[in-house]
Parts: sequence; C-alpha cells; structure tokens
Amino acid sequence: MSKYFEIRWHGRGGQGTVTGAKSLAEAVQGTGKNISAFPEYGPERRGAPLKAFNRFSDDNIRIHTSVKNLDVVIIADPTLIGNNALTEGIKKNTIFIVNTEKPAVEIKKALNINGQTLFTVPANSISKKNFNKEIPNSAMLGTFAKACEHIISLEDLVKESKHIFSKMLGASLVDKNIEAIKEGYRFGDVVYG
Amino acid sequence: MSKIVSITGAGAISYGMKQINPDVVPAFPITPSTQIVEDFSKFVTDGKVDTEFITVESEHSAMSACIGASVAGGRVMTATSSAGMALMWEMLYIAASMRQPIIMTLVNRALSAPINIHADHSDSMGARDSGWIQLYSENHQEAYDNLIMAPRIAEKAGVRLPVMVCLDGFIISHCLQNMIIEDDDKVKAFIGEYEDRHSVLDIKNPVSWGALDLADYFIEHKRAQNIAMKNAKDAICEVSRDFSNVFGRKYKLFESYKTDDAEKVIIAINSIAGEIKEVVDKLRDKNEKVGLLKIRAFRPFPYAEISKALKNVKIIAVLDRSESFGAYGPLFTEIRTALYDMVDRPLIYNRIYGLGGRELSLDLINDIFQESENYLQKGKVEKIFDYINVRGG
Amino acid sequence: MDKYELKPWQDLALGGVITQGGNSADYNTGSWRTYKPLWDKKHCINCLTCWVFCPEDAFFLTDNLKKESKIKKKISGINYYHCKGCGLCAKECPVNKKGKVFAIKIVKESK
Repeated sequence: MSKYFEIRWHGRGGQGTVTGAKSLAEAVQGTGKNISAFPEYGPERRGAPLKAFNRFSDDNIRIHTSVKNLDVVIIADPTLIGNNALTEGIKKNTIFIVNTEKPAVEIKKALNINGQTLFTVPANSISKKNFNKEIPNSAMLGTFAKACEHIISLEDLVKESKHIFSKMLGASLVDKNIEAIKEGYRFGDVVYG
Repeated sequence: MSKIVSITGAGAISYGMKQINPDVVPAFPITPSTQIVEDFSKFVTDGKVDTEFITVESEHSAMSACIGASVAGGRVMTATSSAGMALMWEMLYIAASMRQPIIMTLVNRALSAPINIHADHSDSMGARDSGWIQLYSENHQEAYDNLIMAPRIAEKAGVRLPVMVCLDGFIISHCLQNMIIEDDDKVKAFIGEYEDRHSVLDIKNPVSWGALDLADYFIEHKRAQNIAMKNAKDAICEVSRDFSNVFGRKYKLFESYKTDDAEKVIIAINSIAGEIKEVVDKLRDKNEKVGLLKIRAFRPFPYAEISKALKNVKIIAVLDRSESFGAYGPLFTEIRTALYDMVDRPLIYNRIYGLGGRELSLDLINDIFQESENYLQKGKVEKIFDYINVRGG
Repeated sequence: MDKYELKPWQDLALGGVITQGGNSADYNTGSWRTYKPLWDKKHCINCLTCWVFCPEDAFFLTDNLKKESKIKKKISGINYYHCKGCGLCAKECPVNKKGKVFAIKIVKESK
C-alpha cells in the first residue's frame, strides 16, 4: 500500500459518522497499523452535511491536514447524493461505499462517476432489522471489510469490534452489531470500475 | 506494561493527569481544552484519582485556586485555551513569580476577535514573558510525554516554576490517533512524591505569601526568577534524559530533523512539524539538502544550542503561527537573535501561516523550500516578512 | 548583622515568601509621628478603649495586681516605636470626652 491509505466520510450531524470513522480506526489499529481519525472541525449541527477522515499506514502518521489523496469515499447518508462535495478530488481508483437501498448501477449514475468501483449496502434496513433504529455504521464497516480486505479482513473486524463495542455500548449490544457487520459484508452490491 | 491505544490528544492529556494523580485540579472549560477537564472530572467522580476537583466561575479563579492550592502544599494541574488563559493573565504572572510549580496544559487556539476556535499560537506566545516554562508538542505522544515530564521539571530545586504544556487545538486535541500510554506505576515512580516548600498549612512554620515588594527588593526577586528559568534549561535536559532511560523516547530542547548536512532549514513549532518532516523526506529523496528544526522549549529559549545546531545551514525560513503586530513573528525574533553571534550567519526570513486554523498543505511547505532555494541562488532574501496562503497575497 | 540589611538576590527566600512570622513588629511606625499622645495614669480609668482603637497596638498592658477588682488589665504606657501619632486614642477616650480632665493629651512632637 502507498504510504497513507486515506478515507473521506460523508454524513449528517447526529448520525454517528464521526463515531463510524473512529470505530473503524480503532479496529484497524487493533491489527497493528497506525491510524488517525478526525472530523472536519467546526460547530456540529444536527442534520448538516459533515465530513470525517481516516488515515491508515504502516508508518507513523505525521500529517494532520484534511485528506486529499482519496482511496475510499464513504457516504453514510444517501440523501447527500447530488452534493458535489462527494466526488471532489477523487482519483481513478477511488472506491465508493454508499449506504443505500437502491442498486449500485443506479447510484453510480446518480453520483456521476466513471470508472470508479462502487459498493452499496442497505445499511439502514440492516440496522433497523437488528436494532430497530437507523444506525448504519456497523453494516457499513462490514462493507468496508469487503471492499478493502487488505486494510482489514472481516475476521479481524469482527474480533476488534467485539472489544470496541463492549467498551462503547456494553455487552448487550455487541452481538447485534457483530451481526450487522456480517450482514453488511454479505448484502453489499457492487459495480466494478 | 505500556500499551498502544487509539486516543484523542485531549484524552491523552487527561489520561496523563490521571496517572500523575494531582492533589488539586481547579478548572473551567473552554473549547478546545474542554474534553481534558471533562474526562478528568469523570476520573474524579469514578474515584480513579484522589484529586480535589474545584469547579470555578472563571479562568481567573481557576488559576487563583491553583496558586492557593499550590502554596497550601499541593501538586496542582489545570488546562485551558485561548481566551481562558487570557482571563488568567494576572494570575499567570503571580503563579510564576511566587515560584509555584503548577502544571497547565494549554490547547493552543486563536484569540478573538473575530471569534475563532481553531489552532494558532497567539495565546501561548502572548504569555511568553509571564515566567512560565513553555514546552510545545508536535503530536499526541509528545503532548503526553511532555505532561509526564512537566512535574519533575517544575518541581526541581533551583527551578520551582510553573510549566505550560502546549499542543495544537483540534489538530491534536480532537484527532484520534494511536500512541503509547505508559504503565501507571512506572509513571508514578518517574514523577515521585511531591515536596512542598513553605506551605501555608505548616502551622509550626507560619509564612506569608504574596507580600508587597517595593523598589528596594523587586528587581532582586526578578533576578532570582531569571536564574530559575536558566536552571530550567538544564532541568529539561536532565529530566528528558531520565525519561528516555525509563521510557525510551528521546527529547531535547528542540528536535533537529535531518539538519546535520542541511543547507535549507525550516524552523517551526507544534503539529506543522509533522507535515514539514513529510516534505523534508520527499525532497531528500531528490537529494535536496533540507531539514527541520522543531522548537520544544520556547521558554527558556535555547539560543546557544540553536546557533550551534544551525552552523552549517545556508538559509532558514521561520514559520510563526501567531502575529506580533508591528513586529516580526515571536519565533523569528528569537531565532534571529540566536544567529547574531555566528561568524557566517545564514540568510533568514519569516512567514506567518495558519492563523485561526488555516491549513498549510504539503505543497505550500514545498514552495517555502523552493523560495529558500531562489533566495540562496540570488544570495539575498527579497521578502523578509510575509504571509503564506492568504487571499490577496 | 542587621536582620534588615538589603540582601543580594542569591540570599532571598523562594518567590518572596516571608518565613519570619510577626516581623511587622520590627517596623518603626513611630518615625511617622508629628503629634504625640501623652498618657496620664492619674486620670486613666483603665477602660482599655484606647487599646481597642489603637491601629498599631501601641498601648502596653499589665495585669491588675488587685485580684478582687473587676479590672483585670491596666494600661501601663505607650510604645513610641509603634505609635504613629494618629490621635485616635485621645479622640475615643471617655475621660477626655467628659471634657474636665484629660487621660490622654495630644502634644506637638518635639525633636
């Protein structure tokens, strides 16, 4: 992998997107990599579009500036599609991961991307089934493991998430989240670039 | 055993405070230092520390309570940012002049107006003459390590001065990153027991603190304070050596990154050093002789050591993340002073960057080295002072 | 050596701390005096009003040797090292207030 593997998250205030970026970083750190996770700083307002970032590396992470060299773009809220910021600065091999109930081909058209690989996952309905709430993070992490196996395998993600979720949410919610991760891995659709 | 954890900069500081287990923490929350105080108050509530936590109605009272608790013989810590420290102003000087070894984490943030919550160094640079020792931190690890070293430096006989541990707001304080947290017992052993001096609670030896000092004595007290700050330089080196013996990570008064054979050097403070190292490495791959000198101790300022470290350098760009309106940047004036006694002085210029959290990209840092190259070829600096990345030039 | 000789910075206590309790008694506020109170034992009723009001604690007290008396302490003189001549004692003295005789008389200081 190139020196830094870089991710940009798009979500809305109050949906746990920053927590998603942090959880992913913690899981990846558990596999021995160096990590960073940070939001685009500013006043967070419920519902307002926001960005969060990850950097992963085998080397020390020395830079703190916002992510420019995009390996992955994660769109946690499908209602953001249409916003130009989603595709800003993407490369030919940037991978998109989108939380949506729609087929990947349709989303590809809506995002107006050409040649990039796109994974979709119905993370809201997976979440609704498991927790009776729309918290798409766990399912999206599962899809991330499918899209970026070289960063974290499903097996490692499940193992690390058990620690993280039991610390963060308490034991009762761990199993449901693990199930959501697995379903996110299984139920994703994909169109290759 | 030490462990690798993913933690925010603020989390690392509050965790370090927990390990230090101070007697008293008076604090008032202000962005972006709030998380430190919030986390720490949770440690207090959960009984993880023995600390008396004092909630106050302002930062002026926070520092006043720090001083009161300190003269009562306690090990005292607090944290603040920006306007919070500005409100402490009067008490900052009193803490230092009364020689109280208080430890304060300052999460660097711009000063108003206009209101801005993001990183720059105008808060700590404004307080550079207050008599506090100032240690700056590039990243999470350095902030934590500086905090662990701070009590030993502050409390050393011959020093007995307060220490300010500075780190960049949001960039470090709110970013989640992996770092090493040391073992509780090892940290406790490294710091040692607090030894008070002339405690007001020692009723067998009654004392008065903070008395009036007129022209017949004031300057002698300041002279003594000056020597304490001079002693602080040796203390920082000594404690840093001990730290590396115990924990393995090496620190000095400043970090020289690939400066040994460097012709072009950038000098900077805090988190931007990470980005500069990245650019230095890229240019080194192209055989360019570039380097970085990163300041750790700004007070006391290591003039002689810096001029020695820069003796083969041909041109220096000093980056200041704060303004001293009507003057050059505060770091620049110190560096230029340090160079004055050199036989072959390098070229030097000053750039203001990043005020109020404006990003300085790798490309822009690359441009600075390019500008240095241009000046080097012309044999002179054309613009000694300028801003970087500002609309309108 | 004079305890109040001006010291070099090397000999100062940390941060200006004062470690000798009660050293304000060494301060010669008597040098400020331009008027001087004279205490007259003959007319004094030992009510101690002057002692209460004196801002410099300049009245000497002694125990009353007459054990059966209600008066336990008596005025025995004025400490002119501390008396700065403010005149409060004479102003508050209840004997003086009656205006027939004076227990404390204020006179101009003569050097």
